Amino acid sequence: MKLQTSNFKVQRYQSLPFLYIVSCILFTASNAHAMHISEGILPFKWAGLWFIVASPFVAFGLYRLKKLSAADLSIKPLVGLMAAVVFIISCMPIPVPTAGTCSHPCGTGISGILLGPSISVLVAAAALLIQALFLSHGGLSTWGANIVSMGIVGSFTGYIIFRVLRSLKVNMAVAGFIAGLLADWATYLATSAELASGIRGDSPFLPLFYKILIAFIPTQLPLGILEGAMTAGMVVLLYKKRPDLLVKMGVIRQEEARS
Amino acid sequence: MQSPAPAGGNAPKSAGGRVISGSLWLPPEGAPLHFITEYSKNDHALTRVDARVKLLVFLGILIMVLSYRGFAFPLLVTLLCLFLDIRLRIPLRAIVLRYSEPLFIAAVVLLLKFIFSGKDTLVSVQFMGLNLIGHKDGLVEGLLIGGRIIGAVSVVSVLGFTTPFNELMAGLSWFRVPRGFVEIMMFAYRSIFVLFEDAMVIYTAQKNRLGYSSVKRGLNSFGVLAGSLTLKAFENSQNTTVAMVQRGYDGTMPMLDHRPFKYSEVAVSFLFIIAAGLLWKM
Repeated sequence: MKLQTSNFKVQRYQSLPFLYIVSCILFTASNAHAMHISEGILPFKWAGLWFIVASPFVAFGLYRLKKLSAADLSIKPLVGLMAAVVFIISCMPIPVPTAGTCSHPCGTGISGILLGPSISVLVAAAALLIQALFLSHGGLSTWGANIVSMGIVGSFTGYIIFRVLRSLKVNMAVAGFIAGLLADWATYLATSAELASGIRGDSPFLPLFYKILIAFIPTQLPLGILEGAMTAGMVVLLYKKRPDLLVKMGVIRQEEARS
Repeated sequence: MQSPAPAGGNAPKSAGGRVISGSLWLPPEGAPLHFITEYSKNDHALTRVDARVKLLVFLGILIMVLSYRGFAFPLLVTLLCLFLDIRLRIPLRAIVLRYSEPLFIAAVVLLLKFIFSGKDTLVSVQFMGLNLIGHKDGLVEGLLIGGRIIGAVSVVSVLGFTTPFNELMAGLSWFRVPRGFVEIMMFAYRSIFVLFEDAMVIYTAQKNRLGYSSVKRGLNSFGVLAGSLTLKAFENSQNTTVAMVQRGYDGTMPMLDHRPFKYSEVAVSFLFIIAAGLLWKM
């Protein structure tokens, strides 16, 4: 996508405010399911590429699931139920006051923290497939791309940030908030990169990538904060009510649960 | 195993036992998630076709739509799918819900491509002091992407509308999709309805107590809602496992047994794919 004029530089700066206004209006005029790349939007080769990128992560998740479920029969139902939670969370329209619209969190940060990133990839994959088949959120052809952005990037970011902050003795709520926030924003960065690479045609990648980033700002900036608050709320609620579950999932140590 | 709330449970049944939508243009009442109601229970030739055959045909058409360099084929596929939706007695509201988001995205992509992409000027307009240039090649590119989006969504919608979830999962299992993943999908699908009802009860209670009256309270309430759902998920998974183990669960769930392929279904599907392939080539 190129800005085509004879004096390219002037036109580029002229069009930026307009682009922002248009994007704000268009991308936020309805419930934004911004985290999901729509069915058919990626050309065949790009859709295939993201499937190839996602495959080893899904395969490793399945390997981990097999290993864990051999020792504990409740793992598969738990992973299935977490996928249902992620499905519901990412279907729930939440008001975004700054944008005057509704959007939804993605929930993979929290599932990454609770179940570990490799299992969380499976959670995201299952939720995304049901959404694609029965709601037209995301799509079958863009399933691989959505697994990469929501499942892999979101889960790993949430998990790593939370672990690092907890190892630095950061408070549970703060660690949960930052992990959720960054997991959401990392997902949106990955989605923007996937979209830009897929629809750019012969145009350069970076200008389009920046435009998509700008277009997502009205919903995704406040939504990241919402996701952070949600993740913090979930972690704190679990810590207060059922610390044994957090110990079981390896989120906290036994001594932390007692204190 | 917790049984899901029946989707479209209040819908009247035909003599053959298949559920028929209450009205042509209205979703069945009482369905907790009416937008994923199983319209596949509507009696139609396409809903009776083997899920494995449907999966192959629809994936074939989807690949053709994605790899087509034009908008005639996706448009044709969209029209055919809309015709099928009507023949399947899918409520208008369900069709609109399915298409609204992709249509919106297609429109945005078309507009952005038209204004910000391309070289050949088609139209030039002064707007808010800016010289907006619409490009011919940008418009064509936008139409290509828009057509691809709508065509692909149409194909997947018809697959979703005509195939019961358990048959779809059994079909995936037959195609050697890893069993662990299929089982997770089944657990997830069965739990969605139960958890969704729980979420609605909590949300209504929070809303009635002004839980969403300010941004801060709203964030806090949503955190509690999501946390409560996670707690329920953990508790339900334990209860489900205990109940299933008592019924002989050993770590793998039974799948539907497939009836043998019907030669007529395979032959018609093969001819359909050949015809679609010829149109795609044109």
